[in-house]
Amino acid sequence: MPVIEVNLEDFRTLIGRDVEISELSERMPLMGVSWEGELEEGFHIEVFPNRPDLLSIEGLARAYAAWTGEKPGLRDYPVKKSDYVVNVEKKVVSKRPWFVTAVVKNVDFDDPLIRSIIQMQEKLHVTHGRKRRKVAIGLHNLKPIEWPVAYTTKPPEFKFRPLGERFEKDLNWILGEMPKGKEYAWTVEGFDEYPMILDNKGMVCSMPPIINGEYTRIDEVTNELFVDVTGTDLKAIQEVLNVICTTFADRGAEVYEVTNHYPDGSVLVTPNLEPWVMELENEYVVKTLGFDLTPEETAEELSKMGYHAEIGPILKVKVPSYRADIMHPIDLVEDVAIAYGYDKIEPEIPDLFSEAGEDHLEVFSRGLRNFLVGFGLIEVVTFMMSNEDKLFHKMNIPVEPIAVTSNPKMEAYDSLRNRLLPSIMEILSYNKHHPYPQNLYEIDDVVLLDPSTETGAKSHRRLAVILCHARANFSEIKALMNSILENLELEAVIEEGGWDCFIEGRRYTAKLNGEPLCWAGEIKPEVLGNWELEIPVSALEMDVEVLFKAIS
Amino acid sequence: MVRLVRPMKPMDVAARLHENERKVLLELKDRGIATTEELSQLTGLSRDALEKASDWAETKGVVAFKEQVSLFYELTDEGREYARDGLPEHNLRTLLVHGPLEISKLKETFKGLNIALAWIRRNNWASINRGMIELTDAGTDIGDTPAQKVLQKLTRDTPVAGTELDGAEDVLEQLQRRKLVERTESVVRFVEITDFGKEVVPYIESTKSVQIITQLTPELLHSGEWKDSQFQRYDVTLPAPSMKPGKRHFMSQIIDYIRRFWVELGFKEMKGEYLELNFWNFDALFQPQDHPARDLADTFYMKTPFSGHLPDPKMVDQVKQTHENGWTTGSKGWQYKWNPEISAQNCLRTHTTSLSVNAIAKLRPEDLPAKFFSVGRVFRNETIDWNHLAEFYQTDGIVIGEGVTFRNLQGYLKAYLEGLGLKKFRFRPAYFPYTEMSMEAEVFIEEKGVWMELFGSGIFRPEVVKPLIGIDVPVLAWGPGFDRLIMQSYKVKNIRELYSNDIGLLRRAKLWTE
Repeated sequence: MPVIEVNLEDFRTLIGRDVEISELSERMPLMGVSWEGELEEGFHIEVFPNRPDLLSIEGLARAYAAWTGEKPGLRDYPVKKSDYVVNVEKKVVSKRPWFVTAVVKNVDFDDPLIRSIIQMQEKLHVTHGRKRRKVAIGLHNLKPIEWPVAYTTKPPEFKFRPLGERFEKDLNWILGEMPKGKEYAWTVEGFDEYPMILDNKGMVCSMPPIINGEYTRIDEVTNELFVDVTGTDLKAIQEVLNVICTTFADRGAEVYEVTNHYPDGSVLVTPNLEPWVMELENEYVVKTLGFDLTPEETAEELSKMGYHAEIGPILKVKVPSYRADIMHPIDLVEDVAIAYGYDKIEPEIPDLFSEAGEDHLEVFSRGLRNFLVGFGLIEVVTFMMSNEDKLFHKMNIPVEPIAVTSNPKMEAYDSLRNRLLPSIMEILSYNKHHPYPQNLYEIDDVVLLDPSTETGAKSHRRLAVILCHARANFSEIKALMNSILENLELEAVIEEGGWDCFIEGRRYTAKLNGEPLCWAGEIKPEVLGNWELEIPVSALEMDVEVLFKAIS
Repeated sequence: MVRLVRPMKPMDVAARLHENERKVLLELKDRGIATTEELSQLTGLSRDALEKASDWAETKGVVAFKEQVSLFYELTDEGREYARDGLPEHNLRTLLVHGPLEISKLKETFKGLNIALAWIRRNNWASINRGMIELTDAGTDIGDTPAQKVLQKLTRDTPVAGTELDGAEDVLEQLQRRKLVERTESVVRFVEITDFGKEVVPYIESTKSVQIITQLTPELLHSGEWKDSQFQRYDVTLPAPSMKPGKRHFMSQIIDYIRRFWVELGFKEMKGEYLELNFWNFDALFQPQDHPARDLADTFYMKTPFSGHLPDPKMVDQVKQTHENGWTTGSKGWQYKWNPEISAQNCLRTHTTSLSVNAIAKLRPEDLPAKFFSVGRVFRNETIDWNHLAEFYQTDGIVIGEGVTFRNLQGYLKAYLEGLGLKKFRFRPAYFPYTEMSMEAEVFIEEKGVWMELFGSGIFRPEVVKPLIGIDVPVLAWGPGFDRLIMQSYKVKNIRELYSNDIGLLRRAKLWTE
């Protein structure tokens, strides 16, 4: 989640009060941002990804001043009429289809504003913009632009002067050589022509989402801006444009509309900073939160979150244009709760009768776990993730099909185990410095491929015991299995043979009602060698589900 | 050694003596005193057994220990050099026998001049006048000095006993100060019979027939011999080793506790798969298919089995429509084209919330209200280090039913946190794509003076619930991990230790007693 830095003096100016850091660190988390700590000149906070409007200091200050009750209610963001026109050409629609724009005048580009805007733009690109693919923002000096502006494409050999370059460069060079080009080339991969924003003279404003043109470079004296937002998702780019325009407006700038003509004849006039209306039943608020609020009280809480609500059993809530996250009345209920204060709500457990109980296999597993402790065994809890080397090569077992991940960060953990024994052998290999005997057990799950299931794999509950001491042997492990079966009043059929990790002639498979139940024996010396062990091991692994089925 | 305080009669003490103690006393009857080494030879007991028997006898007051310290002397490396080449002051004196010398000239030729000058003046062998040094009368007329004699005597490979150097104490002390000689001590232990011991001896003969039992055996019990025997008394305060128990893993003990906790609050356990369809892990939770949480960086996706089959087509269609336009949930949806192929791909569950949505999908409206919990492992595609694991435990809970509220959510979680023994905690707003209200539980860490995030919770969005069960009904939900709390409770700094299965740690880890 994005973290933004806030200059305390700037923040104080924006909210109009000399607020202390101690107040902010205590209260801001209850407004719905995470406090990340104090900085030399201010503080930093983490903004939730559903609130792009809080990515600018202006937006954060606006929200805080409303929430604390100092400047509650809906702010008015007028958009002035204009003759600015943009034409979206057909050939760009299949590549980067959406384009919305605005003009902002009377901008006083002082240092805090520049810093805030740059930070907001960066964070929006990363989060909402999905690294500029979904949304990319361009800010331009309005002065040189001759209207109308065209959103179109140009072939790779087309040349212009990109921001920060002294000479014209072709588009391939920009994508292959410039740092920004290389970083974002993936967003235009496979295009035969690249999206371009040109003015009426054919001068390049921008090659979205890669880089702006030198032509519309912004400097300290710029006071009128052309804002473009391009992307793959109309809803997302409109939200971002609204967040940017309201941020400028909070610093006293004037916002002008632009008429965007689309090739299918449709027309989008942007930005639209008009609040929109969502209906909210007061009863729904009360029912969801679990405490009484009158419609008037609900409206009051909503005003602390920047809304204006017309009072009635069904409140008509005016939602500010920058609140991209409001999709459903439940979102308004949450804001009522935040305004009310999560810390002021009295927790209460309801009187709610329902059937209770543990999963039966879990109850059975716990019984077995406690039973095995009676043999002096120590329980281990190991990772389910493993790899081919540990599961097969080190165990001298031929490789079997197992569940394998496609993108592991660590080779040691790239698959799900299909046996427990390798996990416990690994534990023995880490514990050679501790005294023996080391008699261990684990009851947990393995995952086996199974085409009959929804995913093609299924988990199975297993039990494994490892006896490791100087005189560990076959009889001991078989006696242990016998004891488990006797205590469950079960009898298994023993067949010679079994897993390849056991010594031939000293291994068996026990079957219960024809199903394999238990694999046991003495571990081969070469397997012990693979795990660098010099103490004999006898071991068993049991299918707990087969056992459970037999007793149920 | 703790002494028995109660005064006892000599006869009673005699009856309580161990066979070895008797041997010691009988040997001392006539001798009165002997070294432990001598006693060992006389009694035929090993040194160890002899020492132990003497210790026991001392606690009974029949013998006492005496120690004699013997001194030994040995040359240091420097001392060895002087024993060979002569002490510097001696060598200087020898030079001066032929007449006075100029000190400034000596400086160039004489090795160790400063030491020689210091000692020759201290011994009053020479006087210094205007840079000239000259022997005094005392200096002219000496033969071998005591210091030289002692050095010669010490020129051996082994330390020399102080008894051989009688009368040279002052010289030895001086040589030790000059760090030419080192002194070592060796202690000889004597055992001496006490007056009380002498009183006890006569009874030893008469009580000889009484057997002293150390280990009670089946034979003794069977024969009834124990009735005529005495039990060897033990010093019960002596340290003893502890046993190495068979034991449940502490994680597993805590998981049992958490299960019991939810069951006592009236919850039913839900189970499910580790390997899960994206549909259950993400889509059913209303996470858009381009959501950053679905990024490759955090989630393990599967090579085998790559994908599976989507469940009930009607429900899948409802989920699809909800993503695209909100369906009938009253929401605007995410407004994008939902792709069933992405949804049918497999991943390792990143949260046990996948079990919660599975459970909701299986419910019919008439099954409500219902309360479910789960405890299980989840997976994150992390590089394992002291602070991160690729798999860990979570315990999810849901409460579904008409009329359950946000207040109730806080009620259940307050009970859970108090059940884990936490006192100072708070709830604050949070964001999760599938809950609204979203709420983070935080605990205050006193030592650091900061709030630590514990887990997320909330009320499932209607966009999650309605497509699965067909009606809009509130579902309270939470999904705490508990590794961090266990680390706090077990004072473990490195999260890997929780699953390292170090047998030493497992053997000594405290029992979970809640």
